[in-house]
Amino acid sequence: MGFFGNLDPEAYDRTYTDAQLVGRMARYFAPHGRRLAVIAVTLGLTALLDAAFPLAVARGVSALAEDPGLDLILLLFGAVLLAGTFSWGVNYVRRRLTTRTIADVIVHLRRDAFQATVAHDLSFYDEYSSGRIVSRITSDTQEFANVTVLVADTISQIIQIGLLTAVLASISGSLTVALWLTTPAVLLVAVAFRRLARYVTRQGNRAMANVNAAIQETVSGISVAKNFRQEREVYAEFLAVNRQSYAINVRRGFVLAAVFPALNAVAGFSSALLVYLGGLSAGAGAIDAGAWYLFIQSVDRFFFPFINLASFWSQVQAGLSAAERVFALIDAEPVVKQTAAVRPAALRGEIEFRRLNFRYSSKETVLTDFSLHIRPGETVALVGHTGAGKSSIAKLIARFYEFQSGELLIDGQDLRRFDLPAYRRQLGIVSQVPFLFAGTVLDNIRYARPEIAEADVERLARQIGGGEWLETLPDGLHTPVGQRGAKLSLGQRQLVALMRVLVQRPAIFILDEATASVDPFTEEQIQQALDLILHRSTAIIIAHRLSTVRAADRIVVLRRGQIIEEGNHDSLLAQGGHYAELYNTYFRHQSLEAIQAFGAYRRAAAD
Amino acid sequence: MATAEFTAYDIVPGDRRSPLRWVLSHARRHRWALVSLFSGAVVNAALAAVVPLLVGVAFSAITRSEPDYATLGWVAVWIIVSQVVRGVWQLGRNFGAELIGQRLERDTRAELYASLLGKSMTFHSLRPVGEIMARATNDVREINLMLNPGINLIVGSANFLLMPLLVAPTIHPALVATPLVFVIGYWLALIRYMRELNPATEHVRASFGHLNARLEEALEGIETVKGAAREAQEVERFDENLAAWRAAYVRQGEIEARYLPLLLLALALAFGFLHSLLLFQAGAVAASQVVSYNSLLLLFGFPTFISLFAFSQVSSGLAGGRRLLELINAETELDQNPSGYAAPMQGAVTFEDVAFAYDGEPVLRDLTFRVRPGQTVAVVGQTGAGKTSLIKLINRTYDVTAGRVRVDGVDVRDWNLESLRQQISIIEQDLFLFSRTIAENIAFGKPGATLDEIEAAAQAAQAHEFIRSFERGYQTVVGERGVMLSGGQRQRIALARAFLTDPRLLILDDSTSAIDSATEDQIQRAIFRAAAGRTTFLITHRLSQIRWADLILVLRRGRLAAAGSHEALLAQSEAYRRIFARYQ
Repeated sequence: MGFFGNLDPEAYDRTYTDAQLVGRMARYFAPHGRRLAVIAVTLGLTALLDAAFPLAVARGVSALAEDPGLDLILLLFGAVLLAGTFSWGVNYVRRRLTTRTIADVIVHLRRDAFQATVAHDLSFYDEYSSGRIVSRITSDTQEFANVTVLVADTISQIIQIGLLTAVLASISGSLTVALWLTTPAVLLVAVAFRRLARYVTRQGNRAMANVNAAIQETVSGISVAKNFRQEREVYAEFLAVNRQSYAINVRRGFVLAAVFPALNAVAGFSSALLVYLGGLSAGAGAIDAGAWYLFIQSVDRFFFPFINLASFWSQVQAGLSAAERVFALIDAEPVVKQTAAVRPAALRGEIEFRRLNFRYSSKETVLTDFSLHIRPGETVALVGHTGAGKSSIAKLIARFYEFQSGELLIDGQDLRRFDLPAYRRQLGIVSQVPFLFAGTVLDNIRYARPEIAEADVERLARQIGGGEWLETLPDGLHTPVGQRGAKLSLGQRQLVALMRVLVQRPAIFILDEATASVDPFTEEQIQQALDLILHRSTAIIIAHRLSTVRAADRIVVLRRGQIIEEGNHDSLLAQGGHYAELYNTYFRHQSLEAIQAFGAYRRAAAD
Repeated sequence: MATAEFTAYDIVPGDRRSPLRWVLSHARRHRWALVSLFSGAVVNAALAAVVPLLVGVAFSAITRSEPDYATLGWVAVWIIVSQVVRGVWQLGRNFGAELIGQRLERDTRAELYASLLGKSMTFHSLRPVGEIMARATNDVREINLMLNPGINLIVGSANFLLMPLLVAPTIHPALVATPLVFVIGYWLALIRYMRELNPATEHVRASFGHLNARLEEALEGIETVKGAAREAQEVERFDENLAAWRAAYVRQGEIEARYLPLLLLALALAFGFLHSLLLFQAGAVAASQVVSYNSLLLLFGFPTFISLFAFSQVSSGLAGGRRLLELINAETELDQNPSGYAAPMQGAVTFEDVAFAYDGEPVLRDLTFRVRPGQTVAVVGQTGAGKTSLIKLINRTYDVTAGRVRVDGVDVRDWNLESLRQQISIIEQDLFLFSRTIAENIAFGKPGATLDEIEAAAQAAQAHEFIRSFERGYQTVVGERGVMLSGGQRQRIALARAFLTDPRLLILDDSTSAIDSATEDQIQRAIFRAAAGRTTFLITHRLSQIRWADLILVLRRGRLAAAGSHEALLAQSEAYRRIFARYQ
């Protein structure tokens, strides 16, 4: 568990035992066996060399009691020099190999995680926000790797402490016990501070979240404040927030500032004790001066590993849960399963739902015993309140979800037997808020068919409104669309998405019509593009526009997953049933009559 | 001349000529914290250096023929006392740095904010809020972190470098050689290391950012990816990005593994050891001094391990400071014109041969039209046609590049800015509401409005009903406990605001769309009511508003493609006719 507590668990999370986790992790490290062996050797060497240094110095100090010969001095110097240089070299080799191994393991893990993710159907994405999946693929894999480094470092330090303890114990048992009794006090202080720091940090984070939100608000509010000339007021508000933020941070800062001073003071006690006890032993002749010196220096050598140990377990825990999150992502089972991999020939676009039942996972049924036959080339508009099942029908045709029973036939063949990518290449799908990828308009139009020539795209684009929409783009087809198409207006994005379908020439066209308003000129061009597409494919449209329902060959009226009325606009309106009600709720204000009637409000307001 | 639109009463600006001067000028104001930081650093290092000396004393007390246990006892006591005192001063150093850091964050943010309030609306409409937010949170935090741990550790470790240099000669003058060579070598190695490491780190960051951005994009657009059967290509692209990241990561690891100061430390310890033993053999130093000296050299360990991190912290702090200063020093073009024309506005607006360019790109050209007081004007055209720029010329968010805009016959540049803007109300496309109560949001432009006035305004804006449907009515806090307002609702609250301030000129950038006919009905009523009795500019997609406007301005690529009433346009414009034809 990290400083910020656990993330909420998600439904695809599995619980692995620690042994399973370690086993899985080991499999990722297995291909790097030779590197790992070298790393292990260097770890041991580092520990040995680091322990050798104080021993050599201590030996030198012992030699001070009598007159050391030049030979001994040079020998000791050579030992110290060699140990130090060699230690650096070994360290270099180890870090270099570690970095490479870690990089390769992360690359491997990320690739597996991403591959598993794109293989999932949309029910997976409905339940898990893409932001969280991204953090599993990028941050969690990194965290997992960091922990392996941490474990290696800690092992090296423990070996070092072990070696040193063994040497010290051979010199003086009682002093070693004294050392062991005093230095771990550092651990206690470190753990206590960690608790305290975690507490103030948590308090601080909670308060800081509010403060950040308030700062965000006062910054966003600047232009409104200027509009109404209320600068003074928002400034006062900002100052209050800013001061609060300061107060919280200073309090937290005080606790954190005290950690190392406190640890140093504790280490001072340890040093003093060893100086004194060691001095007594040395004075009594039980140990020589060099050994005494070695004990004093060992306080510092014990010091850092013990501080690190204070946070070791929690970091390992965090690493294990990160690994668990990554493996859970990789192991999650896809719901949509194909029973065969038939590559469909050119489709005519006939669609038939036969007594189909469908619900999203663990929710109530959306479609019950649903049957619908759509002829090749037909344009069908689906209308109904939210939750009536309109978009489920569209998404089932795209095979984004698995249905529970019944049949869905395309050109008389079972949809479940198709090779999905091959099938989907014959579908054109435009969602309510079309998604564009960073790149140019041309890249996006050719997304599904990169092989199409630019000239062909250009020719198609000119068929819409005489190509006027291209002229409004600064660089025509080569205009960058920005992240998620942010540089284009909503209307332009819709045009690009429709162009994508025009270029693709699919057999089946699925459109979730936008509800957002678009300026009337662009709207007119969108309608032209739509006319072109509808002409040459079977179309299923989740309709929000009056002009679309009017142009449809057939309107299918849905209520709670059932077809309750069918027909064209005029006949359905004349029936005065559910469609008439839907018309009054969603479409009436788009009619010319309504536009004319709103004039009355203008006259009423003027009076 | 750059005149601010707002001057804060309590801000003493720092020295804005360079980031370093700016940060220093702010830091200088906290004298006691600075004293605490520097004295703490000196005392901390000095008392750390005392331990080796004390150990030397104990050593000579014990190794003499008659061991002196009393001295040994005192040494132990002094070690404890010195380390406790050291802890206190070290706390002073840490907390001093922390305090300056926090205060710098607070003060630079306040200075930034005050300067932002002083900028023109032009400035603000040019900058995305996200960018300014990043400055006000991340960059000021960088300045904070630059002080603590950045400067704190540098000052602290500089003293650790200094102590052996100062203390070693007291043992024997020649012993200064090793510390001196080490410190010089250390500096050179560190500078070289950072020159190598910084671009490598930047590379890792950039390639990771790229990987992440593309990943986010692919997952957010997963429906498109799957719909177009492009999964395999996305995996391929992800692999390419991964490979680029791996190369950068390995390169950084390589540089880090070669960290030279660590080798220098090992060499210094070895040569110091040799030197002290040789001096001992020559009888120049005592055995206890050899012990002290070699312990003293170990102080170099701290700066060797810590400086890296501290230096990069300082450099990102200065980078943050530079970005903040850029924002603060950005010129703001419009001035208040306090001596300009100020009078109650009638609401006549004329554009005379207006041209406007934005960042050198021409946006509007040859605009000429006349609006009488009380008329309703619909501004129509595609995105990028210049609709928003056109209306922003009226309240001087922007100034024209050629021609003139007159309000009541007076060039807007000759108006007193305050008087002009106070009588013009703009309701923007992306409406911002403060997280306060709805009543306070409505009364924002008129502090002190009574609740009756607020309710009357809400009623006129067709907002009363939905506000009342909330559990806490007008006292509902926007954004709290799941009270999210739809675009249409926010728009009506903004309209209520306008009813309360009763501007003579209302500008409404209206792009919300109603999902259902009933809401549409209410919005139409509210807008027509707001337009009654005042000059109103509507940027709109709504055919009904276009249909019933007194004047329709059709913009096409910055020019007036057509202008006139509905009837006139039907006769005049083919494109306009086609729109209405689809509804027949």
